[in-house]
Amino acid sequence: MMVVSCDEPETVVTNYVHPDGSVTRKIEMRNIDIKKKISGIQVPFDSTWTVKDSCEISSKGDTVWIRRAVKLFKNVDEINSAYKTDSGANRDFSRQAGFNKSFKWFNTEFRFSERIDRKLSFGYPIQDFLNEEELVYFYSPDDMRYKKEHSSDSLKFKALKDSVDKKIEIWTSKNLVSGWISEFSKQVKNLPGEQSVVETLKSHEDDLIKLININDKKLDSLWSNGIILKKFLSEAEYITFKAEADSAIEMVAEHFFVDFKDYMVRIVMPGKLIGTNGFIDSSQVLLWPVKSEYFLTQQYEMWAESKIPNRWAWVVSGLFVVFVITGVIVRVIKKG
Amino acid sequence: MTMTSESEKYDKIINLLRKSKPVLDSTEDIEREVINRLSRAKHSGLTLADVIDFLFGWVDIVWIRWSLITASIVLVLFFVYQQSIILKQIDFLSNHTTIIEEEPLSRSAYEIEKKVMMYKLSGRKIPAQSITISEKQMEQLLESVNELQVQYRDLLNLIKEDPELKKYIEEKLNENNRVKIKL
Repeated sequence: MMVVSCDEPETVVTNYVHPDGSVTRKIEMRNIDIKKKISGIQVPFDSTWTVKDSCEISSKGDTVWIRRAVKLFKNVDEINSAYKTDSGANRDFSRQAGFNKSFKWFNTEFRFSERIDRKLSFGYPIQDFLNEEELVYFYSPDDMRYKKEHSSDSLKFKALKDSVDKKIEIWTSKNLVSGWISEFSKQVKNLPGEQSVVETLKSHEDDLIKLININDKKLDSLWSNGIILKKFLSEAEYITFKAEADSAIEMVAEHFFVDFKDYMVRIVMPGKLIGTNGFIDSSQVLLWPVKSEYFLTQQYEMWAESKIPNRWAWVVSGLFVVFVITGVIVRVIKKG
Repeated sequence: MTMTSESEKYDKIINLLRKSKPVLDSTEDIEREVINRLSRAKHSGLTLADVIDFLFGWVDIVWIRWSLITASIVLVLFFVYQQSIILKQIDFLSNHTTIIEEEPLSRSAYEIEKKVMMYKLSGRKIPAQSITISEKQMEQLLESVNELQVQYRDLLNLIKEDPELKKYIEEKLNENNRVKIKL
């Protein structure tokens, strides 16, 4: 799904959302080689940012180069236009920020979100494969997983990890196979005999997945010798559609290997936090890891909601209620 | 002629009315009331009763009275509803996972493991422009990972089955940790 590369810095993006919709965005890049020209940064970053470089000693005693950059965006539209013109490492991914402010008399509510659109046009949502607990584990940051796996409850979390890994393996295979079938059906469209072949493959999707999982290590040779396809297709069908099948698998692999550089997003909301789908770190800041598998088959949205009480509305409403109650009492006295 | 007769009639009626004066029962009360009213008229300032009449005059108008009562009930209910929803949301959030902040792991074994798995599953096909190492090297790496996984599993089984060996390894690991701390 992603090619391993260690050149990019460890990046954390913090959005400080202001009540007027402006956002102060802070990027912290760790282990970055300051002498080198900056490239391959996970989020939009250019010369208009205020940059500060520093060398710090980590808790483990290692020297860490840190580059901190700050920029105030007037509104989310500015952030979105930066995403559109991004030339960084993740430029091929569609990302948007959103801000909504709603006046609800006693409170004003704010909603800020960062969204990454799904990468694949095919595939199954991960929710179909993982239960609630497993989903929390799947979306949790690495250090949290690591800590849980090394806590007193390590056995429980190791079992959870194994279960998630196994299910992700199935999810990945299913996505690959369904993607391949959909690509294959596009390529063979209007060719004689295509309908029955596509239908056969669709009906044997699960068998194909099992076959891939069982023969994980010799998949290459089994595929190139046509052994996998011949399990479901006749010799004649295999020969007719071999070229399309190979081409389809190449196309799917190309889509599947997304070259995405992971990073973390943090959001600081104005007022009191009332809703989020993120994690909360020790400094009470919301945190989300951003990894390619999160938005492969479905949209990944990191959102937070907060509210600021409108004190004047509380006072006005209180006075009004007292006024009406007094009026009613006056009437009762007059009548009495 | 007619004009004179009409004015005569009018004078007669007026005279009659003048002669038939009303009988006053308590002239003293009337006198007091007149004096009171005159003295009140002299004080031009507002009284509490005036203010109350001015502020709460609406209570005598039925539709205004009920509209305002309804509006204030709606306001109170809306406040209670809104606050209870917010409290529920905050309560939900307080049960949310909290992470103790630490330096992020550079690149966890979990991630690498997963990426290797993805590579294997997708038929070992990587877009040409993304290859940074040769296919042969990648094959070797995958073979080593597979081999290591098998050996590691065997080793774990071996340790599990032999309690003495397990104890010995745990002791050694503890010793190692102590040495690291000393360093």
